[in-house]
Amino acid sequence: MEGRCAVETWAQFGFSGGSYKVKILCGFGTDVLICTGTEEIYVFSKRERKITTVLLLPAAVSDLVGNQDKHLIYVACRSGVYRVNLQFLLHRDQSSQADASSSPAELKISQECLVVGADEVSSLLLVGSVLLTLCQRDASWLLTLYKTPKQTASTSHEEFGSFHLPVVSAVDCGAAESNRRPRKGSVLICIHSGDVEASSPSNASAESTVAQDHFHLEPLLFKLLFGVEAALAKSPVILCGLPDGRLCFLPLRLPGSRLRVLHSLEQPVCFVGASVVTETGHAQCLVAAGEQGRVVLIKTDKAGSEGGSAVAAFTEGCVPGPVWCGCMDKSCFYYSTGADLLRLDLSEGSFVRESKERGEETSGTTAAALQSPSSLNVCRVIALAEPARSTAGDVQLLGVSARGQLQRICLPAGRVDEGSSKLPSTQVSRSVRDLLSAIGDVCERASVLKTVIKSKNQFLRLLNHAISISFLLMADTTTDLPIKEKPIRCHFETSWSRLLQKDSLSLVCFLHNSSPFVLERGWTLSITVSPLSYSSSPAGESSSTNFSFPFHDLCPGQTFEASLPIAAAGDASFPMTVSCSLIFSLSSLLGEEEVAASFAGLQSSCISLPLSTLTVDWLHALQLNSPTATHKMATVQPSSAAADSIRTFLSSRQLRCSGRTNRGGESAAKPEPEKYSASVWVSSEIVRDTLKPKKSSNLDTKESIRDPEDLCLSLLERLLSEDTEGVKMGCQGDKIALSTSVVHACGPNGAAMKLTVKEINVGEEESTDKEATIEVQIESSSLAAVCGLHHAVLRRIQTLLQSATEKAASTKNVQILGLRRALQRAEIQQSQISGAFGEVVSTVQRDRLLLTVYQELRQNPLLIV
Amino acid sequence: MYQPTSLLEKWSQENNELVNKCKVGKAAILTSNKTLELAVVYNTCVCFTAQSQFSEAELLLKEATERVLQVTGNNADTSDPLVLWRAGLKSAGNTALHPHVLYLLCLQWALWLAKCQLENIWELQMSSLCELVCDGVGDGSPSEAKGRLSKSPLLVMELKRLTELLQICTSIAQGAEKLNEGRSSEALSDLQAASALSATRALVAYTHLLSGSCLAHMNRPQMALQCYKRALETDSRCVCALYRSMLIYRQLGNTQAEIQALRLLHSTLMLPPATEPVLGGIHPLSPSLLLSSHSLSRLLLVPSALSVLYSLALKCVLSGRVTEGVEHYLDLLAALHSEDQHAVRVDAEVSVLPRMPELYLEAGAALLFTRRPADCMALCNEVISTTLELVPEKVVLEEPDEGIGGDARGLSVEGEDKVAMLLWAAAAYLLQGHCHAHLKDWKQAVTHYTRCINLLVKVHLKNRDFQPQIPAADVNVKHGKDLCALQRMKGLSLAWRGISFTQMDQLREALRDLQLSLQAFPDYTGAGLWCGEVLWRLGRKHEAAACWEKTWSLTTQTSVEKLPLYLQDPQSGPLLDSVELRLRIQELGLT
Repeated sequence: MEGRCAVETWAQFGFSGGSYKVKILCGFGTDVLICTGTEEIYVFSKRERKITTVLLLPAAVSDLVGNQDKHLIYVACRSGVYRVNLQFLLHRDQSSQADASSSPAELKISQECLVVGADEVSSLLLVGSVLLTLCQRDASWLLTLYKTPKQTASTSHEEFGSFHLPVVSAVDCGAAESNRRPRKGSVLICIHSGDVEASSPSNASAESTVAQDHFHLEPLLFKLLFGVEAALAKSPVILCGLPDGRLCFLPLRLPGSRLRVLHSLEQPVCFVGASVVTETGHAQCLVAAGEQGRVVLIKTDKAGSEGGSAVAAFTEGCVPGPVWCGCMDKSCFYYSTGADLLRLDLSEGSFVRESKERGEETSGTTAAALQSPSSLNVCRVIALAEPARSTAGDVQLLGVSARGQLQRICLPAGRVDEGSSKLPSTQVSRSVRDLLSAIGDVCERASVLKTVIKSKNQFLRLLNHAISISFLLMADTTTDLPIKEKPIRCHFETSWSRLLQKDSLSLVCFLHNSSPFVLERGWTLSITVSPLSYSSSPAGESSSTNFSFPFHDLCPGQTFEASLPIAAAGDASFPMTVSCSLIFSLSSLLGEEEVAASFAGLQSSCISLPLSTLTVDWLHALQLNSPTATHKMATVQPSSAAADSIRTFLSSRQLRCSGRTNRGGESAAKPEPEKYSASVWVSSEIVRDTLKPKKSSNLDTKESIRDPEDLCLSLLERLLSEDTEGVKMGCQGDKIALSTSVVHACGPNGAAMKLTVKEINVGEEESTDKEATIEVQIESSSLAAVCGLHHAVLRRIQTLLQSATEKAASTKNVQILGLRRALQRAEIQQSQISGAFGEVVSTVQRDRLLLTVYQELRQNPLLIV
Repeated sequence: MYQPTSLLEKWSQENNELVNKCKVGKAAILTSNKTLELAVVYNTCVCFTAQSQFSEAELLLKEATERVLQVTGNNADTSDPLVLWRAGLKSAGNTALHPHVLYLLCLQWALWLAKCQLENIWELQMSSLCELVCDGVGDGSPSEAKGRLSKSPLLVMELKRLTELLQICTSIAQGAEKLNEGRSSEALSDLQAASALSATRALVAYTHLLSGSCLAHMNRPQMALQCYKRALETDSRCVCALYRSMLIYRQLGNTQAEIQALRLLHSTLMLPPATEPVLGGIHPLSPSLLLSSHSLSRLLLVPSALSVLYSLALKCVLSGRVTEGVEHYLDLLAALHSEDQHAVRVDAEVSVLPRMPELYLEAGAALLFTRRPADCMALCNEVISTTLELVPEKVVLEEPDEGIGGDARGLSVEGEDKVAMLLWAAAAYLLQGHCHAHLKDWKQAVTHYTRCINLLVKVHLKNRDFQPQIPAADVNVKHGKDLCALQRMKGLSLAWRGISFTQMDQLREALRDLQLSLQAFPDYTGAGLWCGEVLWRLGRKHEAAACWEKTWSLTTQTSVEKLPLYLQDPQSGPLLDSVELRLRIQELGLT
């Protein structure tokens, strides 16, 4: 590593560092032509060490080939192929040298020079008198052959053949890069069989074309790759590397030949050439390099597997870094990665030596050779050409740097031997350090991958749980199990509490998880409380409230308890619907920050599984007053509520009085307008029947309920404490109120109300069979309370009756007279209603009328049998 | 080259302007305006068609028809061109627009023809329309026509020309189609009618050519030949007629005429391509544009000059004109090596060119027939040097299945190549052996035959229980070509080594080889005769006589034509006279 590369900058030209194909064309005496993908071609004179001429073409140049003999160059532009007679130009240039010696002459290439009007030609090649163009047309690659005229003066270029090769979908990496590089270059070279050297006249003319893209391959390899027929016909073979990675060949002079694929690199081909030249001048190795560093070496394997005959061995390998450009000399492949200029020694000598050292097979060492290109420490080279080995043994290259400099790169001699024999200790330690750091990198990467896998597994487990739970709950909804048997169920209790001298009703939710799964992070219990019926509030908004309680690992068998304040005394609209559901959200699973960063839309995505929907009605929300407590409560009421409670108390007293007069269920005296009452009649037999199964368990006797008073009490008890649909009234005053069949309570809106259960006899006096009936009467000064409580009582009785195991079929006929009276009442009410709507009365009057009807309806119910 | 484009642009522009103008002043559309518009459409369409932009032209035509319908107050609510055209014609009726609509219809005809939609042309009965067009143009006195011409816009292609062209092209295309469907007699009458139409020579020649093809189809070769002759008389560049006549001569077995035809065909093909007649400049629509149907192009297919040359050479050699054949072979090889020869796509259907090494070997064999062993050896050396390196130590030749027939190429390409390579190299050695035998250099001959045999024994037949006997010749064809060649080569090389040994008086070796040869290839009479000869010389005269008798009794029907040239019996070595042998037998019988 003592000798460093000497880089000598020869010229600097205006060059934007575009991503187009940059090509250096040598062989015109001391002139070097450089095309940089722009409209300009620079002619550099090595003798004068400066750019002498700039050729200006009508469009961006994509390729450039030359005919040394005739001093012609062919330039592929976007609009077609132009032919430029260099000799003529240069002569003119020299004549004008005297007056404009400093600045390069600029020459415009006119449309007259256009010889082939093909669009978008990506590559050119001259083989003898044949000009080949390669371009992409729609769905195929088109290789077209043109005959160049013998006389330079003539411009007719007759097309006499073309070959198609269907385009395959571009390699992925190529597609990704296509933004950066709109047009990928293709490579066209010509391979001659080595034994056709000087004998055939065709070869002589091929020799005359610039040898940069012409190679002579060892005959055996030539035959193996391209067939005996091409060899016998002494036909040159066109080899083209396409951006899709294919390497195709075409024997030029064989009748009926077609473009065939030799190999595929699976990445854009950026260089094809032949090297390892023997004394006879035949290259023994065909090399193709892809853009991402994949290199294939094609050599003859003399000890082939098949019966000892020779076969062509394709050795694929990867060299570090992208390959920007490359060139070959007799034994080495030089390529630039942009960051460095690298040399691959392909010569047989080095293989043999290495294989001797390592005791491996030749093909193995070839691959090994690919692994160890030697660095030449020249960066930013984008085009290479004309490797020349001086007598002293050092190699000179011509390069173009990314900054637009034409450079002469001199590689020191004898490096090859040094490089491979013994490394100095400093280098050894450095490489050891490199290796260690590389190992460290790998370790780090592995651990990162491990955690990623772990977290993914965790996610998968959670998702699995979530899905299982979802299925469980979905199965519940379909099978319609009773609440008690559901694996995940919730029930509620209402309770009144006083806080800061203010009563408030809270709903306690118990979620019992009896499923075999843990409700983990990511699960949320969501409870929505909304009034069952709400008149559209002035604001027009629904007054539903949402509560959500995220879980932290609710294990099987555990119960989750949550208390939600649903109403402060005075402002609540009962009955209300409570629906609870379990929500599983992906975002909480993934972690907020990740989600927010990546998927904004995912945040709302979650699975919602309804658990149950139940109703909290007035009965649940009753605040029972023991007869003794009523006073106390009234006195303790804060000043704001005190007057109200007194009034409530008073009105309840009054109601009790009026209730007494109403015995018999007849609507005798009309109650005062402020006091409202409603009643429900249930056949006491049904009540007895339905209450029996429950009672029988602990009381065991039918006689105990025979007593009508008992029956009333138990019904009342049932009404107040029954756990309907999973909602239970919280324990309050130890059922003190139940000593009597009259209950005084305070509704959630603060209105005092009375609930009376008693046995009455429905039916006319004259009828023989009287139906024993239990009347549940609700009285309150608040209309809302009466309505609400009536609704609640009806619901309870409904569920009570539904739960009756078997209905006693032998119910008494309802008296015809009773029905008739009911009908009469209905007719009167009907007329009243129609009267209310028909007559022109004030809204107040109408309301009052309707209220009266309503009350009559409520007070004279049909007996439930 | 770029002129038509600019012209076209101008027309399009002009047309668009006109249309826009008309649309603005819809109420005041004058008929003269209309005719101008239609003329512009016509001209634009001609240019589009000439540049093979058929869909653009068709769209334009459709729009024009719809315009006509609009102007005449009819509604066009169909997209079917046939219905549209019928409606257009009807609505144009007797108005001044009528001839112009007919022009456009002619163009539509041309488009259909170019797109091979012959059924549309048939549907609208274009041919009868054509007369209408001609009448429409031709009616009225010349002076009137002249007056009108000055007023009416000029057309880029004269209408009469167009209709004539269309008529003959349609006839040709339809004839080809019918011929393809096997309705030869029907096609024939049409084509013969069409041949009387006035058209360019090439097109008339096509009608004759197709008539000939019809006749050939109907098994009337002599009449077909007459037609082909007429086609050639009409257009001397009608190579296809020449090629077809050659095929008929071949079918008739007239070798001399076939060779003559091949020679003519080759020289015609070698002529530089005809420069387009100046007429093309006047006619924007070329006949080739209108005659693009697949069936026609298949009928007009002619093999490449190289493959004609090869057929010629082979035919000459096979028919005994060896010297001439050799010259053709050498020409062919020279042509293949010349720099002017380039990989031009060869149609597999008509190409008969063998693979390169086979060509070399055939040329070598032909050279040997003309007693030029040195040249033959040079060619063989070339083949050997190319192939020998690639010959593997062992090849497996699979016995082809009965069902697949002669498809020995079902093997993988590489494997097949290996076998082919070996057979080529062996054949080259065999030929070299023959050369040395010809030069009476028996020792060298034995060496080369031995090399050949050594190569041949590398082939292993895959099916072990396969009987390596070669039955009748027609079965040979069914079996793999390679297998046949292999057995024949074994027989030949062994027999000729035996003959060489005989010449060197190594009778024991000779007998062994000849007997082996008879085993490998029992049909080879040379081996049988020489085997008898050796036996005779060894004093086993009765055996010899039996051997001769047996050989003569063989019905040698091996069709020589089917074998490659280089696998045929060299007629150069020492010969045995059958008459003399019979005499010997008689003598033996007497004694």
